[in-house]
Amino acid sequence: MYLYNEFDQTLVNERVEQFRDQTQRFLSGGLTEEQFRPLRLMNGLYIQTHAPMLRINIPYGLLSSKQIRMLAQISRQYDKDYVHFTTRQNVQLNWPALEQVPNILADLASVQMHSIQSSGNCIRNITSDPLAGVCADEIEDPRPYCEIIRQWSTLHPEFSYLPRKFKIAISGSPKDRAITQMHDIGLLMRKDAAGNTGFEVLVGGGLGRTPIVGQTIAEFIAEADILSYLEAILRVYNRHGRRDNKYKARIKILVKATGLETFKAQVEAEWADCKSDALNLDKKAIQQVKDFFVEQDYSRSDDSKLDNDLANSGAFRQWFKQNTREHKQAGYRIVSLSLKSPHRAPGDVTFDQLNVIANLADQYNFGEIRTTHDQNLIFAHIKTEDLFSLWQQLEENQLATVNIGTITDMICCPGLDFCSLANASSIDIAKGITDRFTDNAIDIGDVKLKMSGCMNGCAHHSIGEIGILGVDKKGEQWYQFTLGGSDSNECQLGERLGRAIAKEEVVNTVDSILDVYKQHRNGDEKFATTLKRIGIQPFKEKVYGAH
Amino acid sequence: MALIKNNNAQADNWQYLTEDSPELSQNSIVSLEYWQQNKTSLTQQETLGLRVLGDTDPSEFVNELARFDIIAIEIPIFTDGRAYSLAKTLREKYEYTGEMRAIGDVQPDQALYLTRVGFNSLELASDELRELALEKLAAFSVFYQTATKTN
Repeated sequence: MYLYNEFDQTLVNERVEQFRDQTQRFLSGGLTEEQFRPLRLMNGLYIQTHAPMLRINIPYGLLSSKQIRMLAQISRQYDKDYVHFTTRQNVQLNWPALEQVPNILADLASVQMHSIQSSGNCIRNITSDPLAGVCADEIEDPRPYCEIIRQWSTLHPEFSYLPRKFKIAISGSPKDRAITQMHDIGLLMRKDAAGNTGFEVLVGGGLGRTPIVGQTIAEFIAEADILSYLEAILRVYNRHGRRDNKYKARIKILVKATGLETFKAQVEAEWADCKSDALNLDKKAIQQVKDFFVEQDYSRSDDSKLDNDLANSGAFRQWFKQNTREHKQAGYRIVSLSLKSPHRAPGDVTFDQLNVIANLADQYNFGEIRTTHDQNLIFAHIKTEDLFSLWQQLEENQLATVNIGTITDMICCPGLDFCSLANASSIDIAKGITDRFTDNAIDIGDVKLKMSGCMNGCAHHSIGEIGILGVDKKGEQWYQFTLGGSDSNECQLGERLGRAIAKEEVVNTVDSILDVYKQHRNGDEKFATTLKRIGIQPFKEKVYGAH
Repeated sequence: MALIKNNNAQADNWQYLTEDSPELSQNSIVSLEYWQQNKTSLTQQETLGLRVLGDTDPSEFVNELARFDIIAIEIPIFTDGRAYSLAKTLREKYEYTGEMRAIGDVQPDQALYLTRVGFNSLELASDELRELALEKLAAFSVFYQTATKTN
């Protein structure tokens, strides 16, 4: 993974001191709440229902064991012994004290981590494919480009006071695992006819109140030009994006109002002006970053021990089938650590678990940990002969719930329990779903359930196969269902099932939906396929006919 | 008002032409509207400044950009980032080399970013804020982005 040089370290250290000073001035009255708010947000600090919330960046979801140990230590010293992994591959602390945040940032800086631009109306953490570098279908490893764009966007003087937040995702495979279509800018790595590396650029996608699927603004931008092209898009957005209404301020609204063709013409005119040498990426500069992402030192290995282990243990077999995936290197597997055990809220990991994860990563996985947008972790390089022993240790630590991709592997925001924006709770509903379906999650099959506590849609409900959105109706919590959304290759927004459901009926409703699916599916047919074949009506009848 | 120019505290020789001080002089900064209405008579001026808003379209005045010794760009509230892109565009695309001044809601915490995109003068509300802004201009010794040239 990328390692800071002295330059990067100095910048992050100076940022910590800058924020320490800003916090002190706020606490002593030198900055008003209005003046401090954008400054703290640009350091990931929210003021929440119970306490501040600090969001820490995990650039493109990549962590070292050393960094995980630091997160553990921070959770013990400054928080309540756990952390929460988010849908944008980041991690959050739910209980830090404002006065302590500068110290937390200093501790993070000591392991090359920061919270710069993890919130605020600026360019956020760059997200990517959690299988980058290890999947067989990759065109090019996106991570060096993620790092280059991370550096370009970090403390960008021109783009720190945008109309609204700005999210960029990059995918290096034909199969998009980074939901690039639902980002302000999505970059898909491409090769042109001559074999040159570049990007297809999508613009104007986004979730939230007005979910919109991004559109292609450029079929191919050469790698040398990608920063100047991004700069052109950002400048057009910064100048013309709406600032009068924060719900209409994202670039998706601007692109829609302007029209893609006109917007594209504006970007290209701007691009012609900003193709300066300073933004040109030469091969040498790219290679320097690529050198940090060389292939791991894989050893030759065959699957004979694995075959034996699989034959001997049914439980291991189930876990292997559901929670591990093919690796491009023979003799290796990609392992998902489920953060959706019945014992805690989705995405939460305890102090003890963090330390176990760090040790296992050192022992089996070259010290590397990845985060995913569905709030799990990945060990990307596990030798098949180590799988059984790894599984046993994960199992002991409640990290091996056999549910990856199933109904209980749901995405869920913190909801009303922690978030000041939320209209409804999500954690207790998640618990209800887990309790009801844990025993037959595998039989139900792969169904993506995503649940957000408000329209902001942090849990991506609009692209869940089953999407649940918490709404407030005269002080009561209600839940709006959508069916048939998709976050895979071709993103699709779910269709509304019908009127909102009362809180106590939410789990029953999920059950009814799954009943219809089970009743109508042909063999191994996926939920989406069944839904497409039979339409939404049978689901409506079952849910609303019964209640 | 307290001025920083080229990273130093400086006295301000310019004056805004307003209803309260309508006397045109060689040190006047006029509004875009005033300039557009009085272009002919203003050709007499040896030196002249122009005041625009952060969201002003540069096409409104760039044709005669070289005519101005100072462009003052007004930031209505510090979270409105349009002035940054306007400043950068004037410097890089239109190669403006005169003084470019940030006015309005200019706070010490934004001073450094403003100077990185091409502003070379900043108008702070008080001497105290100016002192703080001068300190904050030195908050970072490294940058991932190149600075916009101011001349």
